[in-house]
Amino acid sequence: MSASGERKVSASLGRSVRGTTPRLADLASTPETPRTPTLGRSVSSLFGSPGGSFRTEDEYVVIEVGSRYLRGGFPGESTPRCTLPYDPENQRRVGDYRQWDPDYAQKRRRPKKGQEWGQEYELYRMDLTKVDLRVVEDKFERMMREVYNKYFVLDTKPRRILLALPPKMPHPLMSTLLDVLFGSFQAPSITLMSSPILSTVAAGLRSALVVDIGWAETLVTAVYEFREVHEQRTVRAGRLLSEEMAKVLNAAQVEQLGYVEDDDTSFEEAEEVLSRVAWCKPKPRSNRRTLYFPARTSPILEEFEDAVETPEPTVTIPFPKASPPAEVTIPFATLAKPAEAALFATETALSEFDDHELPLHHLIYRALLSLPVDVRRVCMSRIVITGGVSAMPGLKSRILAELEALVQTKGWDPVRNYGTASARHEQILRQKMEALELRKQEGEDKVPESLDPDNPLPAAHRPQDVWHHEAGVEREKTRAGPPPESLVGGVVRGVETLGPWAGASLVAQQRIRGIVEIDRERYLQHGLQGASKDKEVSVVPQRQSMGPGVRGGAGDRASWTLGVWA
Amino acid sequence: MAQAFPYTYYACNCFDSNTSGKRAAAVLQEAADEDEGTFDPRSPRANYQLYPLEHLLYCEDCQQIRCPRCQIEETLNWYCPSCLFEVPSSVVKSDGNRCNRSCFSCPLCTSPMQTFSLDPTGESGPPFILECQYCRWSTVEIGIEFEKGQGISAQLARIGNGGKPLPSHKERDKERERRKELEARKRDGRELFSPSTETTHTDKDEGPPSHDDLFASLSAFYKSQVESQTSASPFSSHDINFSSPSAYSRIMNLYSTSGPKKKQRPKPTAMREAASALEGLTLHDPSADTAAIERLKRDGWASTISPAQKRAQPNPSVRFTSDLRPLATLLCTKRSKRCRSCRQILTKPEAKITSTRYKIKLLALNHIPRLSIRALASDTPVPGSSRPPAKVFDYNALKPGIPTHFLFHMSNPLFDPIKVTLATPSTTPGKVQSRVTILCPQFDVGANTDIWDDALNMPAKRGSLLSDQAPQIEAGKIWDRGRNWTSVAVEIVPGFLDESARVEAETPGRGGPLEEDDDVLEIPVFVRIEYEADTGADERGLVDSKGGKGEKEKREEAFWTVVGVGRIKGS
Ligand SMILES: [Zn+2]
Ligand SMILES: [Zn+2]
Ligand SMILES: [Zn+2]
Ligand SMILES: [Zn+2]
Repeated sequence: MSASGERKVSASLGRSVRGTTPRLADLASTPETPRTPTLGRSVSSLFGSPGGSFRTEDEYVVIEVGSRYLRGGFPGESTPRCTLPYDPENQRRVGDYRQWDPDYAQKRRRPKKGQEWGQEYELYRMDLTKVDLRVVEDKFERMMREVYNKYFVLDTKPRRILLALPPKMPHPLMSTLLDVLFGSFQAPSITLMSSPILSTVAAGLRSALVVDIGWAETLVTAVYEFREVHEQRTVRAGRLLSEEMAKVLNAAQVEQLGYVEDDDTSFEEAEEVLSRVAWCKPKPRSNRRTLYFPARTSPILEEFEDAVETPEPTVTIPFPKASPPAEVTIPFATLAKPAEAALFATETALSEFDDHELPLHHLIYRALLSLPVDVRRVCMSRIVITGGVSAMPGLKSRILAELEALVQTKGWDPVRNYGTASARHEQILRQKMEALELRKQEGEDKVPESLDPDNPLPAAHRPQDVWHHEAGVEREKTRAGPPPESLVGGVVRGVETLGPWAGASLVAQQRIRGIVEIDRERYLQHGLQGASKDKEVSVVPQRQSMGPGVRGGAGDRASWTLGVWA
Repeated sequence: MAQAFPYTYYACNCFDSNTSGKRAAAVLQEAADEDEGTFDPRSPRANYQLYPLEHLLYCEDCQQIRCPRCQIEETLNWYCPSCLFEVPSSVVKSDGNRCNRSCFSCPLCTSPMQTFSLDPTGESGPPFILECQYCRWSTVEIGIEFEKGQGISAQLARIGNGGKPLPSHKERDKERERRKELEARKRDGRELFSPSTETTHTDKDEGPPSHDDLFASLSAFYKSQVESQTSASPFSSHDINFSSPSAYSRIMNLYSTSGPKKKQRPKPTAMREAASALEGLTLHDPSADTAAIERLKRDGWASTISPAQKRAQPNPSVRFTSDLRPLATLLCTKRSKRCRSCRQILTKPEAKITSTRYKIKLLALNHIPRLSIRALASDTPVPGSSRPPAKVFDYNALKPGIPTHFLFHMSNPLFDPIKVTLATPSTTPGKVQSRVTILCPQFDVGANTDIWDDALNMPAKRGSLLSDQAPQIEAGKIWDRGRNWTSVAVEIVPGFLDESARVEAETPGRGGPLEEDDDVLEIPVFVRIEYEADTGADERGLVDSKGGKGEKEKREEAFWTVVGVGRIKGS
């Protein structure tokens, strides 16, 4: 992004920040700038669902459709009722019971020819050139039937669906999923919410940098006031990790058991080892320049690097499906290698990566770098790491440490030329002037210190009496300012999330309606084509005269939008 | 093993006429584009289209096979498959769709668990434990014992692993409020005067908040935000209907109904993010990572649980065996099934849990002729000869390149005679190409007439009507025929497994190295039946089989089947 572009965005976002409530209207009605320029698509909430009368008796089910797992459950519950993998064994013909056959279960599953690692275990992939959507529909339909008939077992009352999807899912794929949910499961309406937003909700935040380390890719999404403002992705994620683990396991088996033709580590085995005993090393000492998490770091964190343990710790992994069944003892340190190679690629120089294969910490850094300065301040202190891979012990700490180091060495100058002192001074000066100009633009509007780049971490120095004059819980409701903890910015900080499904459950529990709500009848008539074409409303001047949120007459209630998926 | 050879699968037509109308045209077009329109049993879709006949229902109104996909299911009642206790629908959801008595399955191996008394006096008194009948895992391993042998579910809900009590939702909420107040006082500098100082100790003992704690805190936080929002603008309270979407959505900023009107309202207080652990905010703590790594290093593979075990857990983010919880048994349901297109009831079980009977059950096998295949062993004993009877035909070792004769056997459940036309591709799809010739693809099958008719008109045994002639393998002639069945001969030349490589060279993508089930010989057979049924008469043809009383109506049905002949032997 060009410098001028950044300024403009920063200004438009900044304005909204400086009011009391950042409202959609502030963002959507800025005529000179598209509201979410970095994302290239806007989420026009103004023209969201027609908002038919909200009835409290409406009941929801909450479904998250990932590329490897399907989660389904009910609003207000902390965990889904079921988490189902797209296992090829579930995709056999009815009446095919071979998975229960002991002989069959003893053997390693071999991958199908021409398929990528783990492809049989996917429901979909974003690249539709390799996807037969009719098979996706078949798989999804069968799985949803299991969800409804085995785990939901509802009465016949129709349930609305809150559907959590990754942002930017291709339309044909979305149609396929919606066809099934509307067609086979009779949903009266489906509310779509994007998983980064939901991860943000499930972290208790409104803005965050959501790092979703999923199966096919890692998606970094900057969420600002519940809106996606930027996203970046890399292929460094679950699939690569799983392939790396298979390599490690193959090597160990060949070394200890000898080579057996056609008896490589299966996908399931690699996945199981990953999920059970894989881990991620803390940041290598050689690259450390400062102490990270000075207050919280426990001394053990560095032990793996520093102390050579004798005897070397090992893990013994059983391979009951190998022929013959065997056990392999692997050094504990080896189990950290896949993460190293797949996610951080520490051996390779940064210049050798394409944009879509950046190591995680560089991806996150770049995402932050391309954000307007005030949004960056907020997001960098709200780094929310989620996705299936993120559960690996040590991974979150490592990512945050690597990021911290990058920020320390590179700062936020996109040109990266301030090895010299003068450049650094220039940077400080530029930030100051930026801030001053923002303030000028705001006129009388008071600038909350927290969001002022000149005045970081105000918590300790804020005048306390503003909101401490009244004690008790009641005070919460009436005080003017937010507590200082919610204003932290400018430092690298990780915040935990309960994940997209839990976020969706919270949203549905509070009965908050989403931006994208699709009515069954309308969908069955027109499909996704029925979505309003006016989604880029923020750049259409004529809307201004009508005021935000107002659209034509009552007849227009019918329109709906695809929001971030438009 | 998939199914024992030989077998027949039936394809439901609903895959051609897709559920949602707008896509049907596209699907039909695609079907037409496919070469010859032959059903490929190896296509990935086939697994979802093919069913054994016994699994299919039949809609009499639509005159169509109905597979699970073109049915709608309705739950009639809920029960625990283990204790057979019927669960009222009102508590099904709140109990998580699981048995709320004492039925559990093992978190390691999913076998049923039993309640045992550990009473040292042998009096079957407390303490009680749950133990797996198969792998012997028990709640002792997670430090849980029960005081009573009944109502395990309710007791377990109050005990955390290691035996510490779990708070109920209400207690959790209360405790959170208490701590919030305490925190607020602390911030106000009143801490010193507060009499309740004992809490700081218990806080530390409890460790990091659990997933459920966090969720409850977040939930309470968002709720309080919603409430503070409404109370903060008392002057416009008439504007904000508490249950209206605008209140909530504006608060969350996820969906805006803001209009010009809004400008006149007092500005509501800003929503904010969670600011403390009590509000559900959890900062990343590297020491948790470190502890998990240490534990992996120390306790190794055996201390961890498998992905499948994880997914079955109430909280699927657990990692170690010490986190396991016994799994309450999932409830089962009795369901009725309706036709998706006309809503006619297809099956309805009796309501009683212990009954396995149905009030209504429209099975496809009562409406659709059954096609089966069996080998016509070449050494059929000639009557009167002294040769030993044929040895059992080995369907798992078909001989490649050797023409082998089989019989297609078609039996008719209908009360009208049917005209059958069978069609197969001359070579089977797939990497191994076998040649198939049906010697007599068009034939009639007699009606499923009353057994008394059979007894009166036919020879006493339920057998061949052609008994006076020796069966012939001859093009255009049926092999044999009975009251409501006809069989025709098929000649099959199983393909060579090792030919696959040559095929690959000719048609890239078709051959190549063999994979699972590539050696299975399956023949797609298109079946078309025509018959005349009485109009107005009972669909089931309970009318006099001679018919002629009502007017006749021509009917036709057509569907794909897949006949699994056997497995080809490698050479
Ligand atoms: Zn069907
Ligand atoms: Zn029970
Ligand atoms: Zn067990
Ligand atoms: Zn019907």
